[in-house]
Amino acid sequence: MSSDRKKLEADLTHFVQSRGTRYAQATLQTDLLETGMLDSLLLMDLIFHIEEAYGVRVDSDQVNPSNFRTIEDTVSFLLKQKALPQA
Amino acid sequence: MKWPLVERPVPNTQVPLYNRFYLHASPASQFDPVIVWGTEIDADALQAFLHERNRDGRILLTAAHALIRATALALEQCPELNVRLIRRRIYAFRNINIRMAFFHRRYSEIDLMLIEHTNLKSLERIALEIWQRMLQAARNEGGRDRDLARLRRLPAFWFRRVVRLYGFLDRHLRLPTLGRLDSTRAGCMMVNDLSFPGAPPMRVYKPTRFPDKSDSFNLTLGPVENKVVTRSGQFVSVNVMPIFLRADHRLVDAQQIGRFLALIRDLLSNPERLAGGHYRQSDIDRAVAEKQKQ
Repeated sequence: MSSDRKKLEADLTHFVQSRGTRYAQATLQTDLLETGMLDSLLLMDLIFHIEEAYGVRVDSDQVNPSNFRTIEDTVSFLLKQKALPQA
Repeated sequence: MKWPLVERPVPNTQVPLYNRFYLHASPASQFDPVIVWGTEIDADALQAFLHERNRDGRILLTAAHALIRATALALEQCPELNVRLIRRRIYAFRNINIRMAFFHRRYSEIDLMLIEHTNLKSLERIALEIWQRMLQAARNEGGRDRDLARLRRLPAFWFRRVVRLYGFLDRHLRLPTLGRLDSTRAGCMMVNDLSFPGAPPMRVYKPTRFPDKSDSFNLTLGPVENKVVTRSGQFVSVNVMPIFLRADHRLVDAQQIGRFLALIRDLLSNPERLAGGHYRQSDIDRAVAEKQKQ
C-alpha cells in the first residue's frame, strides 16, 4: 500500500471520528450508510475537507454511494480524482 | 419573471364554510388558524428501500429526498393543498414546487431551495438537484448566494423597509417571482428534514411560519426511534419516524390534512411507490411543455 493512501486513510478516519462520540467507532471499513452515520451534514463536511485539503473538486453527479459508503471508498475515489487533471 | 399562481382565485362557493369563518374573521377575534397534526411512518421500510437503492445507485439517496418525492405525489392527489392566500382570497399554484430548508455550509445558517415541478422528477433527479444546490451554496458560487450576500450587507434600517414593503405587496397582490431571492415563493409546501444523527426524539414539533404568505404548509420529518408495538398479537420492535404537518385552517380543514398525511405515510411506508418520474432534464422539459398545452 502506498504511503499516500495510508496518509489519506489516516486523515479521513480522524476527520470522521472527531465528529463526536457517535462517530468514534468508525473504521476504514465501517459502512457509513448502513450505520446511518452519513447524513448530508457529514457528507458536505467530508467533501469540503477533501476539496480544501487536497484540491479535488467533487461534482454533484459524483455524490454516489460507491464513492462515500466507507472511508476506504472515499480514499479510493480521492486517489482516482487526484490522478485526473483538474479543471 | 414567472407567474406561480393561476389568474383567478378559488370561487367563494368552493371554499368550505368553516374555512370561510377563519378566512373572514377579524384580527380582533384573535383567532388561531394553525393546525398541527403529528403522526409516524414505518422507518424500517423506508430505510430498507434507501439501503437497497443506495447499494448500486448512481446518486446517494436520503430520507429527505424520499420525503420530497412523497410530498409531491401526495400534492398531486390533493390539489386543494397546493394553494396560498392573497388578502382573503385563495389562489392555486400552477405547478407543484416544493421548498426545502437546508444548512448553508458557507454561512452556517439555514437557507431555502425550491425544487420545481417536483412531481415530474424521479427520486434520483430530486437528489441530484439537492446535492447540486448544497455544493453550490457551500462554494458560494450560485447566483442566489451572491444575492444573499448583498442582502446581508443591507443596513438594518433598509432591510426592515425592504422586507416590509415586499411583504405588503406579496400579501395584497398576485405577484410574479422576479429573481433568485423570491423564487421560493413559487411553492406552498416547505419540507424540513430534522432526522439528522443525534437529533433528540421528537414528541411535539410546531414548525414556525416563514413571514411570507406562500409558506402555507410545513412538513417536518423527525429522527428514527425504536418502539415496541403489537403485531398479530406479538410484541415486536420497530423503527418509526415522527412526521408533523403545520397547516392553515383558512385554506384546508382537518379532514383534508388527515387525507394528505395518510397519503404521505402510505408512500413512505411503501416506498417502492416513489418510483417513476423523469431523470433527464429534456424529459422533464417535454413533460412541462405537454402539461402547458393541456
